Amino acid sequence: MMITLTSIDRKETLRYLACKNDNIDESTMAIMDKCEKELLDVIAPKFIYRYFDIDSSEDTIKLSGSSLIMEGNDIKAHLSGCSGAVLIAATLGPHADRLIRKMQITDMAEAVITDAFASAAIEQVCAAAEDSIKGEFPGKYFTWRYAPGYGDFPIDVQKKFLDVLDAPRKIGLCTSGSSMLNPIKSITSVMGVSEKAITGKARGCITCTMKEVCRFRKEGMHCGF
Amino acid sequence: MDFKKLLSENEFIFLDGAMGTMLQKSGLEAGEVPELLNLTSPDVVKNIHRQYIEAGSMIVYTNTFGANRYKLEGSGYSVEEIVSAGVRIAKSACEESGKKAYTALDIGPVGQLLEPTGSLTFEAAYDIFKEQIIAGAEADVIVFETMTDLYEVKAALLAAKENSDKPVICTMTFEQNGRTFTGCSCSAMALTLEGLGADAIGVNCSLGPEELVSVVNEICSWTSLPVAVKPNAGLPDPDTGLYDVDPDDFAESAKIFADMGVKIFGGCCGTSPDYIKVLAEKLADKKYIQRTPDISAAVCSYSNTAVINQPRIIGERINPTGKKKFKEALKNGDIDYILGQAIEQVNAGADILDVNVGLPDIDEKAMMVKTIKAIQSVTDLPLQIDSTIPEVIEAALRVYNGKPIVNSVNGEDKSLEVILPLVKKYGAAVVGLTLDENGIPKTADERFAIARKIMDRAVAIGIPKRDIYIDCLTLTASAEQAGVMETVRALSRVKNELGLKTVLGVSNISFGLPNRELINSNFLQMCLSHGLDLPIINPNIAAMTGAVRAYKLLANIDENASEFIAAYNNAAPVPATVASSSSLNVSAEGLLLAVQNGLRHEGALITEKLLETNDAMDIVDNMLIPALDKAGADFESGRIFLPQLILSAGVAQSAFEVIKSKMDKSEKSVSKGKVVLATVKGDIHDIGKNIVKVLLENYGFDVVDLGKDVEYQDVVDAAMPDDVKLVGLSALMTTTLKSMEETIKLVKCNKPCCKVVVGGAVLTPEYADKINADYYAKDAKATVDAAREVYGC
Repeated sequence: MMITLTSIDRKETLRYLACKNDNIDESTMAIMDKCEKELLDVIAPKFIYRYFDIDSSEDTIKLSGSSLIMEGNDIKAHLSGCSGAVLIAATLGPHADRLIRKMQITDMAEAVITDAFASAAIEQVCAAAEDSIKGEFPGKYFTWRYAPGYGDFPIDVQKKFLDVLDAPRKIGLCTSGSSMLNPIKSITSVMGVSEKAITGKARGCITCTMKEVCRFRKEGMHCGF
Repeated sequence: MDFKKLLSENEFIFLDGAMGTMLQKSGLEAGEVPELLNLTSPDVVKNIHRQYIEAGSMIVYTNTFGANRYKLEGSGYSVEEIVSAGVRIAKSACEESGKKAYTALDIGPVGQLLEPTGSLTFEAAYDIFKEQIIAGAEADVIVFETMTDLYEVKAALLAAKENSDKPVICTMTFEQNGRTFTGCSCSAMALTLEGLGADAIGVNCSLGPEELVSVVNEICSWTSLPVAVKPNAGLPDPDTGLYDVDPDDFAESAKIFADMGVKIFGGCCGTSPDYIKVLAEKLADKKYIQRTPDISAAVCSYSNTAVINQPRIIGERINPTGKKKFKEALKNGDIDYILGQAIEQVNAGADILDVNVGLPDIDEKAMMVKTIKAIQSVTDLPLQIDSTIPEVIEAALRVYNGKPIVNSVNGEDKSLEVILPLVKKYGAAVVGLTLDENGIPKTADERFAIARKIMDRAVAIGIPKRDIYIDCLTLTASAEQAGVMETVRALSRVKNELGLKTVLGVSNISFGLPNRELINSNFLQMCLSHGLDLPIINPNIAAMTGAVRAYKLLANIDENASEFIAAYNNAAPVPATVASSSSLNVSAEGLLLAVQNGLRHEGALITEKLLETNDAMDIVDNMLIPALDKAGADFESGRIFLPQLILSAGVAQSAFEVIKSKMDKSEKSVSKGKVVLATVKGDIHDIGKNIVKVLLENYGFDVVDLGKDVEYQDVVDAAMPDDVKLVGLSALMTTTLKSMEETIKLVKCNKPCCKVVVGGAVLTPEYADKINADYYAKDAKATVDAAREVYGC
């Protein structure tokens, strides 16, 4: 499925850039406008999702009708009480990577800004995807989106995760040998689906494994997670 | 199997329908490796083939779509086992059917993205496909399908042509906008794959038949090969996964394709034997329409096709001849410098870029391969491969993504014998120089004769006339004034009498004369009006690019002057001549202000002025570095953020460039020291490392940039020279921290005195310490601080 973005959250982008200054000068703002436009012109955001019933056992979570087994205590806790799960994969496509690569040759400041815009953009795409998916399941309750690599949910599940969604074929999203997503500006995630309201699974620093080393927290900021 | 005979004996060729859809119906789970069924349930697979053959399929695809080394990893089975079993099953289904049916070795994408977006190299992709092709040698046909990356199809097709004599069908998957996910266009696909020797091309999967009409139409106009169409059964419902076009409607749409001249039909996702049966029935009373497309002369990258139906500018700047800086860049492997030259020409209006990296003391072949790949990662302009060495040309032809131009062949038999077969094998266009063993003939008639000889020899080995571009050679007007018109006359005759496209390096004309630009642009105008198609010029010179644009407008090529207006109407006003140096604040304070405000141009001008009265090292140490330190302190205190720091550093760099260009003459060095940088093995996120590189350079360090996903040993090798005291490593992911640790271990083992600085999102000072790094850099600025400490500056 395609998603069209007409603008990118500037506040988010500035946060990714670790900008602590509220008064950005005009010339820097002009560069930001240019970068945002260039990025919006080249990206073709896409997402794909699929719902599965959950088949839990003692240690693992299996999605019925798929060969995907999700290991780790954290994903198990995340999905506890859920009868099903939606797997989601989203990408800005290869042109964002290409543009940022080109800018790294011509103007590193633009590259850094565009990279931050792209990070904000893929997050916006995921939020839009989430809204659209929720609309397909009226009356159900959902967890927030949990991604491979969070907590003890192993990152090397990526390849299988994408295969289950047929993501390489459907949206051109692959992994590298070291389980990194390609194109870079892409996200995979799992959203639990439940019949009853979900409590006590807030997003935030408390559930984050990076909380001890986080550069945002050190400076009294927050990454938005 | 004789593919041509099969084509000629049948109005239409019917392929099969979906394999995956059928396997899912028999209980295959999402994410399972379907090819394992070739060993575990061969009867299920065979039964599907049997149903398709009964429905009318003349060629069935083996169940080997994803049976490659990468996807089978961890399955416990080898490519050889799975592929040969798949071929055996399909063959026995064909034999047992009693019908005339053939087996196609089915090969899909590797499942990993190729460079530059991914990390799989072109060469590694070739090896993966080669293994599949050899394992499936018993099949009658080879099929590459569902491809979205032209580069990957090229690797596959080359592997097929070099390791098998079977016919090859290539089909790619397009979106409604007529492009694949990676941006490959229909024309680029057709030009490239027909050139490389595919036996049929077309489209599969993608969308439903109706949505593919314009895509198929476009492909048909760009190829003389048989075209294959294997669409999905419409579009899937996102929740049920069911497709929305039934067999009848599917077959009705196929009639539209038949009317366009499509020869080969089948179905992809969501189709079944029913679809093939109805398809064969509905097309039974139709006749195949032989297409005779008038294909334009054109070259392309994976996504950008330059049609030579009007003058197209070939940019000449990627060439070390007479350029000291370019030569230095080649010697130091400074690929970013070359990329800068490429992008500058793109922005100036070039349509094609000539690439020449020939220099006596370097490995030209390796450099050419590296340069071609790097340029294609930042621009999609088609390239012209320029070398005198056949091995260099071939290496470039292999790794080029698209259809390039080879520069050049000439009238000498030796040249024709060596170069033309390469041009033919890789499906390129070629520049033919009108000279031979006797040198450049004086008269137009003699040059015309050589052009004819080149054309005859090229056509004889199967290179189409449209792919031969003749260069009638420019001599310098100052030395051979009478020769100028001979060149123009020869060009005109080649164009009009041989019907070939013409190419010409223009700038030589004015060598040794004053006001070269005036002569060049006038000569260019003369040649254009005599039929020059491909001027090779410096597009950065406004008068030259402008001459081409003006000609196109006046010759009524640029309709409604739209290209001309787009180029000039919104042109930024010429900047007020800042060079009125009286307004410049030529002082340490002025330089500081320029750095703080990101004013590159002013920074350079002030530096130039300062150099008249100050010692270079004095400017560096007492003005530039303090200005940068101020910016660094502002960054640390949060007064400015990263892009602003980079902008400030950029000003310092332009100042350094001014200083360096003066220093070169006195042979002193302003370099603060050499730092080796790499993003560790397995990691492809290199923007952080690249930021560090820019900052280090701006602070006056020399950087040896090894790139991303770098082998441990490559880091060690680069760190060994005595003048390297610091290595910087970056890793973004927890999964690649291990690579960082291993790299440090190997560096310390081979060169204990070498310091290592590490950085990356998931690193901590504690972890850096644990893996034996000497410095932990929390950001790019901290790496600069580490470098200054190591080099004591």
